Formats: sequence, C-alpha cells, structure tokens
Amino acid sequence: MYSGLALVAAVPLVLSPYYVYVANLALVYVILAVGLNIVLGYTGQLAFSNGAIFGIGAYATGLLRLDLGIPYGLALPAGAVVATIAGVLMALPAMRLRGLYLALATIAFAQFTVWVFVHWDGLTHGTSGFVLKPVDFSPLPVTPPTGLLYLSLIITVACVALASNMLRSPIGRAFVAIRESEHAAAALSVNLTRYKVYAYGASALYAGIAGGLFVGAVGAVVPDQFGLFQIVLQFCMVFVGGIGSLWGSVLGAVLIIGIQEGMRDLKQFQEIGFGALLLAVILFFPSGIVGWLKTRVAGWSEPLRHGDRED
Amino acid sequence: MLLAYVIATGITTGALYALVAVGLVICYRTTGHINFSHGELFMVGGFLAFTLHVLLGVPYVPSLVLAVLGGGLLGLLSDRLVYRPLISAPATAMVVATVALSFVLRGVARYLWGGQGEYVPFPPIADPSAVMIGPIAVFPQQLVVVASTVLCMALVTLFFRLTRTGKTMKAVAESPRAAYLVGIRVERVYAMTWSLSAALAAVSAVFMAPLTQLTPDIGFGLLLKAFAATILGGLGNMPGAVVGGFVVGIAEAFAAGYISSSVQEVMAFIIIMLVLVLRPTGLFGVKAAREV
Repeated sequence: MYSGLALVAAVPLVLSPYYVYVANLALVYVILAVGLNIVLGYTGQLAFSNGAIFGIGAYATGLLRLDLGIPYGLALPAGAVVATIAGVLMALPAMRLRGLYLALATIAFAQFTVWVFVHWDGLTHGTSGFVLKPVDFSPLPVTPPTGLLYLSLIITVACVALASNMLRSPIGRAFVAIRESEHAAAALSVNLTRYKVYAYGASALYAGIAGGLFVGAVGAVVPDQFGLFQIVLQFCMVFVGGIGSLWGSVLGAVLIIGIQEGMRDLKQFQEIGFGALLLAVILFFPSGIVGWLKTRVAGWSEPLRHGDRED
Repeated sequence: MLLAYVIATGITTGALYALVAVGLVICYRTTGHINFSHGELFMVGGFLAFTLHVLLGVPYVPSLVLAVLGGGLLGLLSDRLVYRPLISAPATAMVVATVALSFVLRGVARYLWGGQGEYVPFPPIADPSAVMIGPIAVFPQQLVVVASTVLCMALVTLFFRLTRTGKTMKAVAESPRAAYLVGIRVERVYAMTWSLSAALAAVSAVFMAPLTQLTPDIGFGLLLKAFAATILGGLGNMPGAVVGGFVVGIAEAFAAGYISSSVQEVMAFIIIMLVLVLRPTGLFGVKAAREV
C-alpha cells in the first residue's frame, strides 16, 4: 500500500504531464468507486445516481469558481457539501423504496440531473458547459497539475482511511446488516432510515469531493461527462475490483482508468467494451479481483465483505 | 385546435408506450425481474426494420415481420446470456447485468447505424397528409399506430387467455416451483417470455420509428417512459400498464404543447417520482403482484 502511494507521488517527478493527469483521474475515480461501494457493496442499495451526484459536485465547484470567483480551496469543500445535500435529498424519498423501485428512481434521477445540466442555461451554461482557469498554487513551488495531483492524493488517502475505519465501526456493521437482511437488521434495532441516510450521505460526499477534484484536473465541465456512461464505468470499477471490498474498489478504479486511457483510440468501442466487461465479471467472476487475490495471498482477510453466497 | 392536436399526439405515443410497458410487465410477472435493457431491445428492433425497409428496400410488412423475429431472437439470446446463468444470483447482479447488456447493445447500434445524436429517418407507412375527423386533424400514421397497438394488445390478451403457452407463463408467474412440479418446463417458459417481451418491443419500435425517427440513444428514455407507465398501473398489472402508457403519453403531449418541448423529456421522471413517493402501489391501489 505504501509503495502504491510512493508510486503515485513519484509520477510528476519522472513522467510527462499526461501521466500526471491520468494519475489524478485515477485518484478521482478511486474516491468515486469507494463511495459507490459503500452504498452498493456494503449497504446493498442499488443506486445508479452516483454519476449524477458526481456531476452536481463538479458543477457546484466549477460554478462557484467561475461565477462567484471563490478560490478553489473553498469551492471544493463547498461543492462537496452541495453534492451531499443533493444526495441526501434524493435519498429521502428513496428511503421508502427497495430493490427494483430504488434502482428505477435513482436511474430516473440520473437522467433528470443531466437534463437540468443541459436545460438550466442561466445557471449551468447549457450544453456547451464552461472552461475554468487552471488552479493556482502560487505560494507553493508546484505547477497546477502537480499540485492537484498531490491534493488529490492527500484527499484520496483521507477518504479511503475514513471509509476503512467507518466500515469497521458499528456504522459499517449496521450497513452490512441492512445488506444481508433488512428485517433482521430492524429486529436487531438497527435504525434502517438513519443508516441508509448515512450510507447515501457518505457516498454523496465522496462523489461530491471527486466531482470537485475532477473539475480541477480536467479544467472544463460539460453535461456529457456525467451521463449514463458514468454508470457503466463506475459499476465496472466496483464489480471488477470486487463488490463489497474497499481495496477492490481502489484496485478496480485504477485498473479501469488505466484501460480507458490505454484505449483512447478505441473510444467508439467504450460502451461495448465496458458493458461486456461488467457483464463478464458478473457472470464469471462475481467476487472480482479481490476474490481471486484471496485465494492467492495467504492471510488476506477483509471483514464484512460480501459472503460467498454469490459464488 | 392545439388541444385536439395535443390529445391526438398523446394518444398515439401513449399507445406505443403502453405496448412497450406491456412487454416489460410480461417479463416482470413471469421472471420477477425488470429487464433494464428492454429499451435497447426496442431500439435494435427499430434499426433492424430500418435496415431491411430503408437500406435494403424490403417492403414494409415483411420487414416488420423480420424485425419482430429478430427482436424475439435477441430476447432469446438475452435469456441464455444473462437471465439463465444469474437465475439464482442476488437481484442486484441481475439488475446490473441487464444494465450492462443495455450498454453493449447501444454500443453495437452506435457502431453499426450511426453515432451520437444522429437521427435516422424512417418513411411513414401511411399517407403523410392530415385527414379531418370532424373538427380534428389527424395524421393517417397516427391512426395506423393506434389501431395496430390496440390489435397487438388484443392478441397478447388472447394469447394469455387461450393458448397453452400463455397459460404456462401465467402458471410460472404464479409459482415457478408449483409449475415445475406439474411438469411445466420452467426454463423454456422463461425463454419464451423473454422473446415475447422483446418481440413486443420490436413491434412498437417499427410503429414508432416513422413518428420519432431512430437514434441509438432512444432506448433509455423509452425504458423510463415504459417504467413510468408500469408503476402508474402498479408494477406487474398489465391493464394498469396500458392505462399508464396512455397517461404518460398524454401528459408528455400536454407538457410539450403547453409548457415547453424540453419539459416533455422529464415528464417520465416527474411521474415516476410522484408515483413512488405518493402512491407506490400505482393508480389502482392493488398490491404489486410480487414482493420485490
């Protein structure tokens, strides 16, 4: 794990700016995938809204910088707060829903959010989106991409550490109890509504932070970035890594971004490729990379993972 | 006159939504799962008809039949590829798998038939000039669509009432285990259900194509509209889904005519959210056929 951190930290020293950008993007998606896994893998709630919340975080951060001139250091947390509020507001009606109904409501919410990005011209700058000036780290001796990479690295480590601790705390155990059986969890006096709001809130916070970092890394925002393709991309990360495994999401996000960037020239096959990959993982390797690692690495244990009932 | 026009448009699109929704409900009732790639099955059916009719010059009726057969085959394929292997997996896996399938189908359609946002024109089956029915101007295409969808729905109803296959589907919907015990080949029934549902999607696509034209992205929006119709009628309730389809179609037409054409696109979302929050059992208040 430490060697992985050192590897990312060394990227700006040895590789070209393009790789700095890719490393940054990978970190952004690590945060997203970990957030999605909290709600999908640990709490067992089908939520297709993560890409939309990611977009809300990106738009909020970007618009605060662009239209109100708020510095990035403040716009980033403010954007994350806006995204969290949006996520919780969406979750409140969704609390009453389960299974298919929930999947439906969140998928409709994802479509609605993109519609708002496109049609609320006065706020969101419409279809063409907007471009931002590079983030200035002026007192520090780093170029904007390098500075952003280190910022993302610090925030990603904090997010993963927070998730790791939270998932091992009573909160995480409550999530898993809800996933395994809502009735049993309720019988054990787990407050279903409260813990579901926690799960959605945590994943929305992560998606919002990722959105803010994404705006910094990419420097431009257009509605298309947060469309349906986000669903297959993020679900690929969580499932390829191993659903219900924190480290699986980290590995999955890095791997998927690596594949996506490595195959830039084959962009028109992205939908087919990632769709087929997701399908193949669900059909043939339901426990993902981590499931395979568990059989290879002696003593690999990760409590509260998805059990073997899927296999 | 706007009102009459709005109502005529609403009924036409509503009829098509109802047909797509019926396909969704058939699949849900028998298998207990919502097929999230249903919209893409619709889209591919439409493009099959487009290839045959427009590109290859096959007459309309044979290309309709072939597109429906192709759609049914695709449904059969989805059953083999996705449904059957995951039948005992958690519901999450099934939902995500059908979502993944929808991306594959969309990507393939984009590769074969055109890129982002390009609409493929489809010539109307009927005379494109409007006729007057009393004071209301109606396009013959609309009449053809409404008549054919009503015919399709009648055929589906008769299929479930009269044929052995239809009855076995109802039996499996009631209880797969009991159906298995009395000698019904449950897996074969699932396969037939998937292909029937996909074939219905293809039929509606062939009727819809001349009215709305085709794009690889048409499927997802349509899926949401069919969902809205389905839950308006109460998930799993077939007559309810038909009524729901008409309600969604007319609501959209009113939104487009009186508010703004862009609002039309989110009517489905608004309806879904309102129903889920205010009346999750649907308009008719019947308990859902299956507990999810």
